Amino acid sequence: MRTKYLKTGMMSILVCVIVFSLIWWILTDGNIHSWWIGVPAVVLAVWVSIRLGLPVQMNGYAILKFIPFFFMRSLLGGIDVARRAYHPMLPIAPAFIEYPLRIPPGLPRVLMANIASLLPGTLSAGINQDILTVHVLDCRNDIYPELAEVEQHVARIFVMGLQASEGGQ
Amino acid sequence: MIAVIDLFSVLLLIAGAVFFLAGTLGLLRFPDVYTRLHALTKADNVGLGLIIAGLALQAESWAVAGKLVLIWLLVLLAGASVSYLVANGALKRGIRPWKS
Repeated sequence: MRTKYLKTGMMSILVCVIVFSLIWWILTDGNIHSWWIGVPAVVLAVWVSIRLGLPVQMNGYAILKFIPFFFMRSLLGGIDVARRAYHPMLPIAPAFIEYPLRIPPGLPRVLMANIASLLPGTLSAGINQDILTVHVLDCRNDIYPELAEVEQHVARIFVMGLQASEGGQ
Repeated sequence: MIAVIDLFSVLLLIAGAVFFLAGTLGLLRFPDVYTRLHALTKADNVGLGLIIAGLALQAESWAVAGKLVLIWLLVLLAGASVSYLVANGALKRGIRPWKS
């Protein structure tokens, strides 16, 4: 178990190094001479993100599966709100709803709230203890399954289970 | 070949502009702060994504295309975070949501 933990820790550091190197390469237009500064900058950035509590376990496969889901849903979100904005009758029925979070506090919750804001018809407005307050553009749609699906995706990315809760689904 | 890429760019840029217009229209037409945030975050995020895609097709190198995508990701993060902060601020001040 301990070696497995160590291995996944090394993996996330490796992913971190790759991502920061890619960003440096992009920012400097692939200039080779800039790596004199780039390599120390990448090392420093990795060190800082570990100090700031980089999640030790992240599932790369879950991230890959999440990307098309996110693209499709946020595109639908844009189309949905654009249709309502252009529509002469302005078809909206806004309301606040409360979603009982099952995902643990910290980065997973922040990610969950931010993603919910980009999905069709939902806007995160507050987290109070275990309740995510969501403003919905049209309360005639049932958005609970959608939020549960996002939560499931985020939980898989951070390799964690969701605690069962009564009103969750 | 270049003409086909140009055509795709034009289509993506026009589609992006349609979404930006929707975002602005929503900002003007929607009744309260919460509904306006819906229009801004979602329509502008898709609009910017389409415009970035249209521009990336014209990029001279992979690094430039990557830079454009990086901009989109940063705007996505900033947009979602700021809309949360604005909605949360309005909620804490007790601003009631508009009801039909």
